[in-house]
Amino acid sequence: MAGRGTVQLRGGEDVILRVENLVQEFPVGRHRVVHAVSDVSFDLLKGETLGIVGESGCGKSTTARALVQLPPPTSGRVVLDPDSGNEVDLTGLSGNDLRDVRPRLQMIFQDPISSLNPRRRVRDIVSEGLEIWSDGGIGTEGQERVDEVLHAVGIDPAAAASHRPHQFSGGQCQRISIARALTVDPEILICDEPVSALDVSVQAKILNLLEDMKARYDLSLIFISHDLSVVRNVTDRVVVMYLGKICEVGDADRLYEAPAHPYTRALLASAPEPARSVGVADAVLGDDIPSPTEPPSGCRFRTRCPLAIEKCATEEPQMQQLDGDHFVACHLPRV
Amino acid sequence: MTGRQAPLLSVRDLKVVFPTPIGMVHAVDGVSFDLEAGQSMGIVGESGSGKTVTAKTLMNLLPSYALVDGSVTFDGRDLRALSAERKSEKHLWGVEISMVFQDPMTSLNPVKKVGEQIAESLRYHLGETRTAARRQAGDLLEQVGIPEPGRRLDEYPHQLSGGLRQRVVIAAALACEPRILIADEPTTSLDVTVQKHILDLLDDLRAERGMSMILVTHDLGVVKGRTDEVMVMYAGRTMEEAPTEEIFSRQSHPYTEALMETIPKINSAGHTRLMPIPGQPPVTTSPPIGCPFADRCRYTTDRCVAQGPLLEALGDDHQVACHTPVGTPAAETALAANAARGHTATGLEIHHSGVPVGAVADGPAEQV
Repeated sequence: MAGRGTVQLRGGEDVILRVENLVQEFPVGRHRVVHAVSDVSFDLLKGETLGIVGESGCGKSTTARALVQLPPPTSGRVVLDPDSGNEVDLTGLSGNDLRDVRPRLQMIFQDPISSLNPRRRVRDIVSEGLEIWSDGGIGTEGQERVDEVLHAVGIDPAAAASHRPHQFSGGQCQRISIARALTVDPEILICDEPVSALDVSVQAKILNLLEDMKARYDLSLIFISHDLSVVRNVTDRVVVMYLGKICEVGDADRLYEAPAHPYTRALLASAPEPARSVGVADAVLGDDIPSPTEPPSGCRFRTRCPLAIEKCATEEPQMQQLDGDHFVACHLPRV
Repeated sequence: MTGRQAPLLSVRDLKVVFPTPIGMVHAVDGVSFDLEAGQSMGIVGESGSGKTVTAKTLMNLLPSYALVDGSVTFDGRDLRALSAERKSEKHLWGVEISMVFQDPMTSLNPVKKVGEQIAESLRYHLGETRTAARRQAGDLLEQVGIPEPGRRLDEYPHQLSGGLRQRVVIAAALACEPRILIADEPTTSLDVTVQKHILDLLDDLRAERGMSMILVTHDLGVVKGRTDEVMVMYAGRTMEEAPTEEIFSRQSHPYTEALMETIPKINSAGHTRLMPIPGQPPVTTSPPIGCPFADRCRYTTDRCVAQGPLLEALGDDHQVACHTPVGTPAAETALAANAARGHTATGLEIHHSGVPVGAVADGPAEQV
């Protein structure tokens, strides 16, 4: 993973979002820098669900937040409608220009309870976005939109008007978060670990709901999770990240059935129910991810990689195409 | 539950009730099980099923206002009587029965070096000297697979990764060589790769030391291939108890079946529609007369509503609390009847294919 390169990017008018060479660094005192995301490129097609997987600290949440400019990335571009002729580069915007684009990308977070203001009524929380983007009152049309979205996610609009978040269960709070994101009619919904705080039976309901909402409101989804089974269920294409870099990108079927990067193989073999395509021998990772303040030279995965050779320390692998929609950044991919 | 010789731990008809502003919450409602020496057992259930309260009862960690009934016998000693006496048995909990908690960051003291935290129990319970306890703490860190144990002894929890912290917690729990280790969601806050290491470690240590282990989890995948037996809990009651393999190959309780169906599978095709369990867990302030799962079950008959099923043997070592266990003719008859009339005895709508309507149709399934 190390890898760099942009061969995995697709062109064409269907591309709704393109992330190019995204870098996010945070200073941590005395000239030290956390390299949270280092040169990551991917794109999202209209109507597609893109999964981003990796361990804690791999930069998947930082990437998601950089897309919505929270905070703006250190360098790189985040472009909406890149090949349509009227592309918008979010990284170049600020103030009102950025605010105008925000409704197009909305986000939902991991902990549904802490992401809702406990002191406000649910209906006010859900309609706040609309109020901000429609100067002044939201009018009857806006109220109808709020009712419609609340109903769609399975929350009774009457209960929402009078209740506060603590009166709802975790699953219902996640439905409320989804409703809040949907009222402004986004094109892209970024879901950062949306089901990891939920019980399995509630998780299934929320995942089904996301699929339904995607169809109903023509959404494209970016779905971030550490749970490989969940990602398998909802995504069309998967990006595997490690220590701020992309290891492998590809069509979800190919990636799960023929994982090429040793890290992807290790992840798939570590799941409670390992994927068919890998064996016990692939589950080789030790505990420790190296520090993102001093990432290893060459391929960042080499310190935990069972296949590492000298070249891996000296030369960073470039992203290369395997077959069709399947790309890997590794000197020794399994093909 | 072979019961040939006296089991190491025996729980009979355990009930735990918490008085709360909304009424008496029946967190555990008549749970019984046995644990043999060297055996490992999984307790599986969703939030609110009573699994953690069961574990805390064994560990004598319930708040003083909890109302407890039933018996808990450990190696011939009545734990409930001992907990009432308090001081006399301070060298039982933490020594013979020990526990690992979910979040390693909150179960370690942030302002104390990890070596001291492990040595603490050795000095308190076993009366070891400072030097001996420190040496043993180093050995324990090595046993739980922490590299450079000598250096780690003098580090604080925040200097360790989540996986290493959980290893420290395990080392502390093992310090006094417990005969039973209770692990309550030991890997829920950890990454999959780390999760696998910790679970493998616990299993290896159990085998090496001949310990018994109780693994409490909401994730059926965690117990798969690891424990000898699994007990599935729902609304404070035992729904099913069976050897682990059998829970996966021949689950008999409709709730166990529903739990299995609701989990996304890593090996199934993308965008497979998931099968959620309709409705919500019951509020345990007023335990139902009938089966607590009746409202959400597609096999529910009038009998399920009128009369709570008891835990009955279905085969060797396999017990289930259900009038219509999955795979029996009774279940097929009940399901066919419910599908034909379009709903169960509790009014849950059933599709003609036998699947709850909420699971196939789009749109809202939950209400406030």
